[in-house]
Amino acid sequence: MAKPVAAAIEVTALRKTYSSVRGTFRRTKVQTVGLAGIDLAIKPGELFGLLGPNGAGKTTTVKILTTLLLPDSGKAKVLGLDVVSQTNAVRRRIGFVFGGERGLYGRLSGINNLRYFADLYRLPPDVSGPRIIELIEKLGLAGREHDKVEVYSRGMKQRLHLARGLLNDPEVLFLDEPTIGLDPVGARELRVLVRELADAGKTIFLTTHYMFEADAICDRIAVIKNGAIVAEGTPASIKRAVENKGVVEVEVEAISADRLAELRRLPEVTSVSVTERELAQVITVRCASPGELMTQLGVILDGIKLQKVSSREPTLEDAYIQLIAESP
Amino acid sequence: MRLRVISPFAMLAWLFFPTIFAVVGLYVLSRPSTASPQLAYAILGGGLVGYWAIAYLDGGLSIQNERWSGTLEQIFAVPTPLWVIVLGKVCGSLLWGLLSFVPTIAVAYFGFHAFLPHIDAGRFAISFAILSLSFLVVAVTLTPLYALWRWALPMLNGFEMGFYILCGFMFPVTVLPAWARGAGGLLAPTWATRAIYASTTNQGPHDFGSWWFASMGLSVVYLVGAVFLYRLVDRRARASGELALA
Repeated sequence: MAKPVAAAIEVTALRKTYSSVRGTFRRTKVQTVGLAGIDLAIKPGELFGLLGPNGAGKTTTVKILTTLLLPDSGKAKVLGLDVVSQTNAVRRRIGFVFGGERGLYGRLSGINNLRYFADLYRLPPDVSGPRIIELIEKLGLAGREHDKVEVYSRGMKQRLHLARGLLNDPEVLFLDEPTIGLDPVGARELRVLVRELADAGKTIFLTTHYMFEADAICDRIAVIKNGAIVAEGTPASIKRAVENKGVVEVEVEAISADRLAELRRLPEVTSVSVTERELAQVITVRCASPGELMTQLGVILDGIKLQKVSSREPTLEDAYIQLIAESP
Repeated sequence: MRLRVISPFAMLAWLFFPTIFAVVGLYVLSRPSTASPQLAYAILGGGLVGYWAIAYLDGGLSIQNERWSGTLEQIFAVPTPLWVIVLGKVCGSLLWGLLSFVPTIAVAYFGFHAFLPHIDAGRFAISFAILSLSFLVVAVTLTPLYALWRWALPMLNGFEMGFYILCGFMFPVTVLPAWARGAGGLLAPTWATRAIYASTTNQGPHDFGSWWFASMGLSVVYLVGAVFLYRLVDRRARASGELALA
């Protein structure tokens, strides 16, 4: 009988609350819930995505799992090791990439940044030397490794972050919004790379608020809102939650808040969102039945110049928006 | 070390400020009637000020610089403990700080034709080594405060100046009032500094043994405190989640 595979990442009833102080003279203590008790189990070799709006608890989850933050209660284990009591053991076997413009030594070259972190990870020179060269080649930094990081482009810095995160050849890699701020080409290249790492057997925990990214590369995803998991499953299973729904997109010059409110009050409407596009506004209406909605749309939007009206199948983004809108 | 060398503040710390202090001291003290022991304060004082500033400021600022560059979380979450990283940074700073003596001694010799006529090389070397150890320990012990509390940074300059005065880098502590001498006596560098200047004069008696023992003893006490502070840093920084906040 085969031995059951232990979870690479295991989270049980994890809670975290942040304390802050408001006011200068009359100071009031404020508690903000970061995580309201979440449970997760990620298999070895899985590429898992955690989706959620800003402030939902994605980064809090990653920081607890990467030993940077202590939870208030609950358990979190990475590769069977407790992140609170076995911190050093966890740190030796994981890598993490928070990305962004910061987090690197700008006045050092790319290769010296990697050498320094290789020392901090206690890699012997005969291991770190060849690995640094390999990562520089693999991540497209060859030829620029001796330049100071402060002259690197945003995409190059992100690749250097990833190189740093892979220095110790981690079994589990945490990526916190790795493509944010990247141009479409750079972002796609990074996604391809992340998928290759997962296919090579690494367990990857990715946070993002780009739905198409999660849909494109993740094996499983969870949606988090206000510190709680509101949905979990494969991208296909989460999309099935909106299977019998539709999406109508209407492009108008402008629409008033009153008409939007009237639209939202329609019983078959699940959610309404408005995005700006050049000189127009695009109203995206998620509903149970697009056909039935059209008549009522005509009434509500009477007098407004319509530039474009279309109907389409729901995507993961629509499922995500519905989940976020419906959950408390 | 590479970051120290390329830092624009490096020149200020090892060249300009020690030279300024040395020039002022030499101008005031390098008179034909000035006794040799006082001249030693002028020749060595500027270098000591620079040496201390680099060790102390670099050690303390190293954590704040990590915070500003956004690398504090990265270095916090590596297998190498924070105290080892700080120790390495301060050791590097101490090596760099030795440069402070080059311009100050050069200014004394070439600018003011001042030199130390008498020096007990052995006692000087031991005293200097113990002083370096005390600088290392103080910097390593105070550094966790900057990882723990952001308000600790404004206190940085106050502590630096306080050490100049209380430890007697540029003048003998005997000129200070009793309460200041008492406070200085609690600082490990004070006793090593006294031993350094004593080794540059043949006027005695000097109790090198007691001074060395006092300096090293206080350094050990600070180290015990440092163990407690680093554990506190680990716990509190991870509980508050403020490592990423500049």
